Amino acid sequence: MANWVLQGLRTGIKTSSYPKRPDSSPGISPGRPSSAELGSRAEVEGLVQRCPTGAILAQNGGVAVEHGRCVHCMRCSQTNEGAAAPWDQNYEWAADAPDIPAVVSRLEREFGRSLHIRFLDAGACSACVSEARQLNNPYYNMHRLGFFMTPTPRNADVLLVSGPVSDAMRLPLRKTYDAMPEPKRVLAIGACAISGGVFGPSFAAAGGVSEALPVDVMVPGCPPPPLAILHGLLVLVGRKPAAKLVSLPSDKVIGQS
Amino acid sequence: MSVAPQLLGLFFVSCVIGAVCAVAVPLRRNSFVLAAIGSLSALLILAASALLLAENSPLRFELWYVLGLGRLVFSADQLSALFLLAAGLVFLPVSIFSGVYLPKYRKHYDLRYFGVLYHLLLASIVLILIAGDAISFLISWEFMSIASYLLVNYEYQREDSSHAGFVMLAMSEAGTIAIVVAFILAARSAGSLDFDQIRSAGRLSEGIGWAVFLLSFFGFGVKAGLVPVNSWLPLAHPVAPTNVSALLSAVIVNLGIYGIVRFNLDLRPVAGIGPGLIILVVGSISALIGILYATVQAEMKRLLAHSTIENMGIVAAGIGAAMTFQTSGHDLIAGIALIAALYHLINHSVYKALLFVGTGSVEASTGTRDLDQLGGLARLMPWTSALFLVGVLAISALPPLNGFVSEWLTLQTILRSAALSSTAVKITFAVCGALLALTAGLAVTCFAKVFAMGFLGMPRSEGARRAREAPLGARAPLALLALCCILFGILPTYVIPALGRAVSPLVHTDASVALVPPFFDTALQQQENIPAKFVAEFHDLGAQVGGSVLPGRGLVVLHRGGETNPVVFAMSTFYMLFALALILAIVFAAFQFLSRRQGLKRGAAWDGGLRHLRPQMTYTATGFSNPVRVVFEVILQPRAGEDSVEAVAQHFRTAIRRNHSEAHIVDRLALEPLVLAVQRLASVARKMHVGNVNAYAAYVLVAILVVLVIGATAF
Amino acid sequence: MVMLEQAVEHRPEGESFFDLCRRTLDRRVLVSQAAEARICRLSCSPRELPEIWQWLTRYLDFSFATLVVDEIADGRWSFSYLFYRESSPWVYLEFPLEAPHAVVPSVVGLHKGPAADWHEREVEDLFGVTFEAHPRLGEFILHEDWPEGVNPMRRSFDARHPPVHRDPDPSWQPPTVVEAVGAFAMPIGPVFSDFAESAHFLLETVGEDVIRTIPRLFYKYRGVEKIAERQPVDRALLLAERFSGTSAFAHGLAFCQAVENISGVEVPPRARALRSLFAELERLRHHTAVITGICNSTALAIATSQAALIEEELLRLTCEVAGHRYLFGLVRPGGLYRDLSEQMQERLEKALDGIAARLDQLHASLRYSSSFLDRLEEVGIISTERARSYGLVGPIARASGVPSDLRKLFPYAAYESVDFEVPTAEEGDGYARLRVFFFEAQQSVFTVQAILSALPPGAISAAGFTVRPGAALGAVEAPQGAAFHWLRIGDDGTVARYRTTSPAFTNWHGFHLAAENFAFQDFPIILASFGLSNAECDR
Repeated sequence: MANWVLQGLRTGIKTSSYPKRPDSSPGISPGRPSSAELGSRAEVEGLVQRCPTGAILAQNGGVAVEHGRCVHCMRCSQTNEGAAAPWDQNYEWAADAPDIPAVVSRLEREFGRSLHIRFLDAGACSACVSEARQLNNPYYNMHRLGFFMTPTPRNADVLLVSGPVSDAMRLPLRKTYDAMPEPKRVLAIGACAISGGVFGPSFAAAGGVSEALPVDVMVPGCPPPPLAILHGLLVLVGRKPAAKLVSLPSDKVIGQS
Repeated sequence: MSVAPQLLGLFFVSCVIGAVCAVAVPLRRNSFVLAAIGSLSALLILAASALLLAENSPLRFELWYVLGLGRLVFSADQLSALFLLAAGLVFLPVSIFSGVYLPKYRKHYDLRYFGVLYHLLLASIVLILIAGDAISFLISWEFMSIASYLLVNYEYQREDSSHAGFVMLAMSEAGTIAIVVAFILAARSAGSLDFDQIRSAGRLSEGIGWAVFLLSFFGFGVKAGLVPVNSWLPLAHPVAPTNVSALLSAVIVNLGIYGIVRFNLDLRPVAGIGPGLIILVVGSISALIGILYATVQAEMKRLLAHSTIENMGIVAAGIGAAMTFQTSGHDLIAGIALIAALYHLINHSVYKALLFVGTGSVEASTGTRDLDQLGGLARLMPWTSALFLVGVLAISALPPLNGFVSEWLTLQTILRSAALSSTAVKITFAVCGALLALTAGLAVTCFAKVFAMGFLGMPRSEGARRAREAPLGARAPLALLALCCILFGILPTYVIPALGRAVSPLVHTDASVALVPPFFDTALQQQENIPAKFVAEFHDLGAQVGGSVLPGRGLVVLHRGGETNPVVFAMSTFYMLFALALILAIVFAAFQFLSRRQGLKRGAAWDGGLRHLRPQMTYTATGFSNPVRVVFEVILQPRAGEDSVEAVAQHFRTAIRRNHSEAHIVDRLALEPLVLAVQRLASVARKMHVGNVNAYAAYVLVAILVVLVIGATAF
Repeated sequence: MVMLEQAVEHRPEGESFFDLCRRTLDRRVLVSQAAEARICRLSCSPRELPEIWQWLTRYLDFSFATLVVDEIADGRWSFSYLFYRESSPWVYLEFPLEAPHAVVPSVVGLHKGPAADWHEREVEDLFGVTFEAHPRLGEFILHEDWPEGVNPMRRSFDARHPPVHRDPDPSWQPPTVVEAVGAFAMPIGPVFSDFAESAHFLLETVGEDVIRTIPRLFYKYRGVEKIAERQPVDRALLLAERFSGTSAFAHGLAFCQAVENISGVEVPPRARALRSLFAELERLRHHTAVITGICNSTALAIATSQAALIEEELLRLTCEVAGHRYLFGLVRPGGLYRDLSEQMQERLEKALDGIAARLDQLHASLRYSSSFLDRLEEVGIISTERARSYGLVGPIARASGVPSDLRKLFPYAAYESVDFEVPTAEEGDGYARLRVFFFEAQQSVFTVQAILSALPPGAISAAGFTVRPGAALGAVEAPQGAAFHWLRIGDDGTVARYRTTSPAFTNWHGFHLAAENFAFQDFPIILASFGLSNAECDR
């Protein structure tokens, strides 16, 4: 008979230091292109051309990044076809949805330490689902922050949606949202959920969750790493400040001094 | 001077009038008249029996003299009064219900015929209960058997009706034969068929005593529906009209118990510990098998029929325990056991009648009795559902209703087996107690299934979707019976003394004093030698109801032990009711207060995001009870067959059919082998039928010779 | 036709496969070679399909790969049935079809016919072609509110806008099969569990065991094949990677191989070696995720945590060496976008040693947890002949005794140079699948280390090439099994037709075989022991 308890004890503590202190372990985030004031116009044009989804824009002599469109094709980070884009190796990516003011979208204090989440796969590729699943592993352990998954929307406070909302999932998505009691919030994770990613809008997928539901906080990325999703939940309960969905060259990126 | 005899007389007159009216009144008003006169008869019987029970003056009538056999005597003592009360409690609501239920038969069957038989049945039941000698008993018994057979077989055009009726009649007659022989044997030693004479006769020899016991137990056991002679019950109930089923389960099976008690505790009390143990064991096994088969049934009336077997098993177990205690010299505990058994009998009559009338309403409203087809009735038939729920809670023995009290008492007395000396007997009691406890658990499962599948959830068929609330004539009897369930539950301290009056002549002590000490009646205290210290200690516990408005003996049922153990067991359903009501009120108020600022949003049940949740996606009764079917596979031994229809290839099966069939364990082990043996015997005997007239003449000659020889040598 | 059976039995010595075909098949069937005799084309008419199918699958023991339907002009389709077998050319069975007579005989009743079941249903839904005698057409990919007669894969359908949905028939309900007293169908999903992908199951039962279950998938259908049309190749590559994120590299690789096959591009050896390395890294992480899922379904909490730790470490390791946790943006037609530096090679080697040891320990501990094994052993069994008949692929098929693996059958990238084992098991139950996943994970570690020890130097991508028009197949052993990506590039260099058959699509079809005749409470465990992705199946 295997001695699981001893094995568990021997493994020790693996939990990330986030959100108390920033976590800088290698491999926790692929990073993403960040905005910057670039000198060369050709560089800017080159980057804009290289991005297949139009996430990189030219603005005021620098690059702006519309993070909701970035599908992490990593082509702008390659150096074989031109200069690499400025890179943000961070993970605090959650941003408020454009049409809902922040003060309305935060949950009350009562939910700060006990939040129940219903995850809904509205056509996501398994990468977003997998990253969300990692929130339960000992590295991230969202339970220590008071976040819990629930299988029924009746007990849920937050609807965590990923995927561009495929045609057949429109009705289940609507029904799940309607079954949740007030107060409720929607957290859209992944490029597909924000802008449709590479799949939408099309005949089979809407262009993101905001086509079907009012979204409160969006976490861009393809897929967003678990710490970004965690950041999104913390933003939703008002424990962390939000980032911007569109980075302009004049902005400073969170985490950089 | 008691008016009870007059009331009884009026009752018979009423029955006769009822029978006449059944024939004379035009069909349109026939069922109403039947209901009215039936209710009147019931009220008369209730009054008569209440008076008989309250006053301690047994009746005795002697009628004409039958040649060679003796006088026809009718006597009603308090035991009879008790059974009459139970019968009246059922006659009344069933008669009212018949008024709205019978019109559905008007087109196909003859209501006049029903009316005559109905009143005849009522009359014969009462006659059995007040019979004072073997002849009147047996004649009334036969009338009752035949009337009930004819009523069960009322829908004679149905195929299963004839088979069920036949089995019922055959087993009933077999039982009657056994009873007749038992009476003859008992009367032989007494020299007379009069009950009084039999009572006062001397002891029987061991062999005759056992024969009398076994025959009477067998005969009355058939009527009571005990294993292994219960096969007729689950067959008869589904085919009978629902009001007849109610009578069958709530009154007629009681007659079997009446017979057992009357015969083996009153007329010819058993000697030795054996008979009591046999009754106890048979009762416990009946209880378990009854509830087991009830749990796996999906058809409501068959389910209730099996449940009747279970409850009669519990009553029989109580009676068996009483007999054992009495023959071991513990009269007081015997009295308590007998009170428990009879209490359970009355309770069962009340809640079983409630459940049957409820089933009848549901069937009339939805067109089906199959739990797999019902559902969602709580919203469509709210009153019926609520009242049915009372019946369900009562039969599941949940406090503070009546089922709880009698089951609790029964189990408590079985625990009292510690007072017995023999280890083997104690082990038997322990095992039987365990079986009864298992039965109680399964009963909750079974009736939770009935209520949940039948009334909660979504309607599973068109009939269930179109259900409407039952008419007043169906709800009134339900309300009446529900009220009885509640009252018998929260006021056991009034019921037990009444039962005690019926029981004390049999066990020669007043057990009700031990169970419900008169805390507030000093005269009675002195009379019964209850120590003042005891009264003082428990006076406040046995709180009086309403000051001196309704003086009662207190509200606590407790068993007074000796010096070292002043209270052996105690409970009060009245207090429980208050506690529950209080908790409910507090929780409700707290909930209202805490959610005063919250809005309420109503929505459909969460179904995982489906477009429509269909009734076919919800649990069925068969599915609910499947775990029980699996766990008790050894007993049930279901046979399953599966076949599938393929289209194109085995890969695509368009239909998979599964058939389950179960043969009742008693049928498998007892009835079928018996039938087989008889058939084999018959086929052997058939060889005698050679078809030759000369051979038959020779048979006659041989028979005469044999008789002559026997006659010559016997004298 | 010549007696097909005898033709195979009495095969003369040294006869090539093409000659066998020519000899056996009717003269109306045209037999031609392609791709340097690696492909055998059989052009026939629809009527001959069943017989040739039977001949190929029954007597020659070919496996059915995929059905490619291409609408080359309005109302004109070309059908290609693709078959493969060990040490034999691929067989492409092709015929054209014109609109007014768009009826094709169904092959589902034939030997290994069930393998084509879902392909036929998909074609019927998306193209509107009827398959004669298929007993269950309709209501497959397009759910009940999709308008009748509108087929999204037709040329005339505009992929940008959804059609007007219809009100589904109010009395419509999913089809049920079981007829028994008290039978009911327990619904699960599409929204269920904590992190499950959306799918709907109806478990038909009479209370204890599941008699029949019909999974209802394609809730996540995003029309990848349609929206890839008229896209440039590098944009379509994004689709190929992202329709199934957990097997992104494998599908991306298959797509790139198809492009390379069309354009005749030679991938440099370092790129080939790195492709195998990254594919095995992905397989390792995927299998660890499945093992985590199995432990989670049996509620063995510490084992789940241990496996989840390994999975997260693999994700982080992948991010370090490849730049993305799921290997997105790595593979490209002609090679790779990124190279593996010396430093990263060392990092990889060191990390993998530790991971291999921990996987071994986990496996050993699980082997001695009897309560865990109880839930997996003899539960969710798929027999070998059923697995063959349904054409199951990957670790699930290998656990049922079907040893097929594309890395060994048609070695691609650098697999030929590594001597790795492909494990099989015979029982076909949950425990067999678990063992296969563990063993394959170990073999992935072995393969990566073998490649690292002999990594050739050189370029990581073929020097700039232009994409030529043409059509070809890319076949790759994805973590869940054989993945086939068929690509036809039009004259303007954009994608004209993109057909993917993922292993999840093939294996989901066989899922009901494992779930039937087992108890309710075994269902989530059987589901976890398959570890299938709905996104991969639904596309």
